[in-house]
Amino acid sequence: MLASPGASLAPVVTRLPSPLSSSSTRSGRYVARQQDGLADRVRGLLTGRAGARVRRPPDNTVLVLRDVTKEYANGKQALRDVDLVIPEGDFVFLVGPSGAGKSTLMKLIIRDELASQGEVFLDGEDLARVPRRQVPRIRRKIGTVFQDFKLLPSKTVRENVAFALEVTGTPRRQIGPAVDRVLALVGLTAQASQTPAQLSGGERQRTAIARALVHDPRIIIADEPTGNLDPLISWEIIQLLLRINELGVTVLMATHDADVVTALRKRVVALEDGRVIRDEVGGAYHRED
Amino acid sequence: MIRFVGFALGRAWQGFWRNVVMSVAATGTMVLMLLLLSGFWIVQTGLIAGLEFVEQKVQVVADLNDATTAEHATQLVTRTAALPEVARVTYVSREEALQRFRDARAAQGEEDLTPYLGSNPLRASLEVTLRNPGRFGQVLEVLRAEPDVIRVKDIQDLVERVLTVTSMLRTAGAVVLVIVGLIVLFIIVNTIRLAVVARAEEIEIMRLVGASDAFIRWPFVFEGALVGLFGAGITLAILFGASEPLARFMFDFFRVLPFRVESIARDVSLLVTGTGVGLGVLGSWLSVRTYLLR
Repeated sequence: MLASPGASLAPVVTRLPSPLSSSSTRSGRYVARQQDGLADRVRGLLTGRAGARVRRPPDNTVLVLRDVTKEYANGKQALRDVDLVIPEGDFVFLVGPSGAGKSTLMKLIIRDELASQGEVFLDGEDLARVPRRQVPRIRRKIGTVFQDFKLLPSKTVRENVAFALEVTGTPRRQIGPAVDRVLALVGLTAQASQTPAQLSGGERQRTAIARALVHDPRIIIADEPTGNLDPLISWEIIQLLLRINELGVTVLMATHDADVVTALRKRVVALEDGRVIRDEVGGAYHRED
Repeated sequence: MIRFVGFALGRAWQGFWRNVVMSVAATGTMVLMLLLLSGFWIVQTGLIAGLEFVEQKVQVVADLNDATTAEHATQLVTRTAALPEVARVTYVSREEALQRFRDARAAQGEEDLTPYLGSNPLRASLEVTLRNPGRFGQVLEVLRAEPDVIRVKDIQDLVERVLTVTSMLRTAGAVVLVIVGLIVLFIIVNTIRLAVVARAEEIEIMRLVGASDAFIRWPFVFEGALVGLFGAGITLAILFGASEPLARFMFDFFRVLPFRVESIARDVSLLVTGTGVGLGVLGSWLSVRTYLLR
C-alpha cells in the first residue's frame, strides 16, 4: 500500500491527460452537482454525437435505495434498512469489511437479486416492478467492473469490448466507431488486437472499463476493481475512473483500498453488518472523529 | 429477425471453433452415442424381421380328400383366403407334393425314391399362412368343418412355443433399445451441458452487459445443433462406409429376411440426424436455461 498517496500519486497523475489531474485534489463539499449538460457531453462524446443533449433535471438521481432489507433464503440478513441516494455525476466509495453487504448491494443494483423489503430505483425505475424481460434494458444502463476483469480469453481487446454491443443487438456499422471511441478514452487503441493474456493487469482492467462504458451507462458499478492490481497500477485505474466521472458518469466503487479512499476524499458510504454506519462527503476510509 | 438469425448462427459457428477442444469432445461423444444407438436399432430391426420370418413359417396345413375335384379345391381356396385371419393360401396338388418330395431328396443328395412307387401316395393340401399365428384356432375350426378336408395338423404346441420365444425376444429387444436410448439421451445432454458450463463466464458477461435471453440462448442452441449435425454426418459416413463389407458378409443371412436395405438406410439416416440435432438442441436449451433462470 502507498504510505504517502500524494507523493506516489504525482508521477501517475502527470502521465494522465487533463482534466484528470485536478480531480485528485478535489475533496470536501458534497454537492449534487449542477453539471449542466456534462452528462450530455459525455454521452455525446461516447456516441459520437457531440453536442447531443438529453434533457434531465439537474438534481436527477441515478440510484435510490429506500429502507432496503435483503434476507437470503437461509435467513441471513445481508442488508438492513439501507437508505442511499446517489445523484447523477457522483463518485461514491462503498467500504466495509468482508461480509458487510457490499456485494449484495451491488447485486440489488444490477437486479441480480431483489430486495426483501424496501425499494431500489435505478434511473427512476423501481427495479422490483421491472418485468424480467426488461431486465437486460436496465442492465444496459449500468457498466459493471469486477476485480477479476471477466474478459473472454479467446477474444481480443477490441472484440471483448465489441461483444457487449453485439450481444445486445447493436447494428454492426455502429459497433466499430463506438469501440474505437471507448478504447481511445481508456488509452488502449494500440493494444486493440491483443488478447487478455498478452495484457498487463492494468490493461485488462482498462479493457473491462471500456466494455462497461461502451453502452454509455448511467452508472459504473466497480466491485474491487483494484483488488488484483499492484498499488501503482491501482492508481492508474482509479485515475481513469475519476476521469470518466469527470465526464459525467456516476461511479459507485466498492473497495478495501484505504489509501485510495482516504487520499481522494470523495463521498464514502460505510457498511457494517448490513447497515449503513457512515455516509460522509469527503470522508476517509476509517472514521476520523 | 434475419440479422438476429445471422448473428446467432455466426456466434454459434465462432463458438464451435473457438472452443474447439470442447466442441470436438462433444462431437466425438455424439458420434459414439449415435453409433451405439443406430447399431442397436439395426440389430433390433433385424431381430424383428427374423421373428416375423419365423412366425411366417407357422402354417396350417389341411390335407384334402383324394376325391376332391379341382373345382372344389378352387372354391375351398377362395373361401379360406377370405377369412380375416388368413394371409395367404397355397393349393398344393398331389403332383406338386410329389415334385417337392423329389426336390427335397435331391437337395439332400439322396436317391430319388419315386420311381419305386406304383402310384402317388401323397395328398393334395392347402397351406394356409396366417396373419397372426396366435389366432390359428379359428382357421383350424373352419377347415375341419369342410367336407373335402380329411385332416388338419394340430399345431397348437408349435405355435405356443414359437410365440412365447418371439414375444419374449421382441420385448427384450424393445427394452434394450429404450435403455440404450436413455443412456444416449443422458450422455449427450450432459456432454453438451459440460460444453456450456465451460462457458458460464461468457453467459454471465452477456447477462451483465444487458443481453436479452434470446441473444444468449440461440447461439448456444445453434451450436448444439451444429454439434449434432457434425456428429450425425460423421456417424452416417462411418455407417455407410461399414455397410458395404458388412452387407456382403451378412448377405446370405439377410436375404431370407423380410426387410429392405433401402428402407433401413433411410430410417437410420433419419434416426441419427434427428437424434443428433434434437439432443444437441435439447442439451443446449436446458443448459443455458439454468443460467437464464437465475
